[in-house]
Amino acid sequence: MAAQTRRDFFKTSALLGTAISGISNKQIKAQSKNILSENRMGVLVDTTACIGCRKCEWACKTAHNLPTLPVEEYDDRTVFKKMRRPDDKALTVVNEYQNSTKFPINVKVQCMHCDQPACVSACIVGAFTKKENSSVIWDTNKCIGCRYCMVACPFQIPAFEYEEALKPDIKKCDFCFDLTKKGKIPACVEICPVEAITYGRREDLIKAAREKIKNYPTRYVNHIYGEYEVGGTSWMYISSKDFLQLAFPKLGRDPAPGVSEAIQHGIFAYFVPPIALYALLGGVMWLNKNRKKTESETEI
Amino acid sequence: MRSKIFFLLIIMPFFCFAQKIKENHSTQILKCSTCHSCDVPTKENPCIKPCPREKIISIDQLPEEGPNVLTIDKFKKQTDVYEPVIFSHRLHAEMSGMGGGCKMCHHYNPPGRVIGCSDCHELTRKREDVSKPDLKGAYHRQCIDCHRLWSGKVECLNCHQLKNSKTKTDISTIVKKNGKRIHPQIITPAIVKFDTPKAAGKLVTFYHLEHTDLFSIDCSKCHKNESCSKCHAKDLVTLKAGKTLEQKHLICSNCHNTKQACSYCHLNTVKPGFNHKERTGFDIDKYHGKLKCVRCHTTKEKFTGLRGDCSSCHGIWTHENFRHKITGIALDENHSSLECTDCHQEKNYANPTCSNCHEDKSFPKFFPGNFIKKR
Ligand code: SF4
Ligand code: SF4
Ligand code: SF4
Repeated sequence: MAAQTRRDFFKTSALLGTAISGISNKQIKAQSKNILSENRMGVLVDTTACIGCRKCEWACKTAHNLPTLPVEEYDDRTVFKKMRRPDDKALTVVNEYQNSTKFPINVKVQCMHCDQPACVSACIVGAFTKKENSSVIWDTNKCIGCRYCMVACPFQIPAFEYEEALKPDIKKCDFCFDLTKKGKIPACVEICPVEAITYGRREDLIKAAREKIKNYPTRYVNHIYGEYEVGGTSWMYISSKDFLQLAFPKLGRDPAPGVSEAIQHGIFAYFVPPIALYALLGGVMWLNKNRKKTESETEI
Repeated sequence: MRSKIFFLLIIMPFFCFAQKIKENHSTQILKCSTCHSCDVPTKENPCIKPCPREKIISIDQLPEEGPNVLTIDKFKKQTDVYEPVIFSHRLHAEMSGMGGGCKMCHHYNPPGRVIGCSDCHELTRKREDVSKPDLKGAYHRQCIDCHRLWSGKVECLNCHQLKNSKTKTDISTIVKKNGKRIHPQIITPAIVKFDTPKAAGKLVTFYHLEHTDLFSIDCSKCHKNESCSKCHAKDLVTLKAGKTLEQKHLICSNCHNTKQACSYCHLNTVKPGFNHKERTGFDIDKYHGKLKCVRCHTTKEKFTGLRGDCSSCHGIWTHENFRHKITGIALDENHSSLECTDCHQEKNYANPTCSNCHEDKSFPKFFPGNFIKKR
């Protein structure tokens, strides 16, 4: 019963904190330390296997309740005439590049779910989070529509829904967090007929990719895009052609600038007086202490 | 408990695999290292190498030994978009016969039996081993490359019917229809004449039957990894026209020097077929005419190196081990106990010399026995 009371008290203070600063205690914990679990997941995109059937586009829209044409319409390959980018209507798109050998190369584009995500650190209200399973997701209620994330992202991924002028909403691939948190796999991965996109532990995927490149040196260029780019990404690519020719940006190994500054950003942008900050941090400590206690209590 | 079941499930295939293969190990000439990564594979730790593809020893079956039609409905639970696919297995097996047989699709094909896709590729996409595609991926990857070359299309509806389609055909009707589909027998042409653009030597005469029957060259040596599109591609003419000089000569250059010896094949008239006497001086028509080259020239595709000397193949002949009758002359008593070399000085045992013993006799005026009808 005592624990119950403490928790209740905490809930109130957390609410208060949120009201003051716009950052929930949860958010602070996530941002102050970027948890990169050894078991974090990723996707390996084998562009030599992708056939450009665009079923992933359909599955993504369906899973996210976005308006879509019926599935058979996605067989239409004339869309490849134009290069497309993910936007608020399609969180992932597949493009086509001409190739001298038998078949053209198709490349699926979506958020890369960076290990050191620039969008997370750029967000002044802490709406973005990097989850332990790799997903970089956001909280719509917190977003104030400043578009810092759009500017910061080295892959120009976050898009905005402008239709409702007063309530802009971020649109980007969320790595199907709603599915993965329940132990399922992302919708696009699930549907891909040739499994050109393989979902698995990031480390295992890198190992598998290396093995493929070693076994088939004429099929692949010796580069796993995303293994090191901007500090590593969860979505990685292997290909038969240099990635620059497939419209991938040339990026160094360092994370995008400013990746560690998030927390100050968030707080000072709101001119939160130091007192409030201390009160908030105090609240966080209380929570942790309290949580430990309840945990040990339940264990007994 | 769950982990125990899981463990059992993981190790079971190894045991089954070991059991299945066991009886075949003794009958196959196999190097351990073809399949195993360690020196001493045990039942507990078979250390089987991952999918060795081309390097693995393959067995081949006739198309009619495999299933006729397959209904692929393993994904029923996972997807509700499409109807199951009806796969005309026999038709496809017949088509692949020329390009390499079973192993064109069953690329992991250890001795014993032809292994199906689902023996190695997992049914679930969420899995631990991401080094090979799951079953759905494996199926599609296997089909799509050929179908794409052949029809230029990857549309799903070529093979799949939408579940909610109003115009869909009943599954049993498709199964029935596909059960009857077989590929017409592929007949090896005897001679193929190519009209080439080469100014001097327009005509290339290719003795196809000679290459396959006499020279015993496997179809797949030349028709390597050839898919159906070799004959059935939508755009066959452009496919052929788009080839470079090197690509056009690729198959012949496996054995012939196509860079320099142009006039060996390129002539202005039809080239006569292979004649052993003309090429080598050794007339095979008399006793060896029905043999395939590899009976004597045992290193396949390298038909050189014999000395025109009977002992190259037959070892040393003596009066005891050689039945002289076979030559058409049954030796009389006086001659049958002589050593071969007493009369035949030449190594090819051609015409005998009589003068060693008989001053006044010579062959073929006199015979060392009875002239009989040849065997
Ligand atoms: S579903 Fe798979 S094969 Fe089809 S376009 Fe997407 S990634 Fe490529
Ligand atoms: S790709 Fe852009 S939006 Fe996606 S995680 Fe990286 S920085 Fe953020
Ligand atoms: S992971 Fe989910 S959100 Fe991202 S592209 Fe695939 S289906 Fe869309």
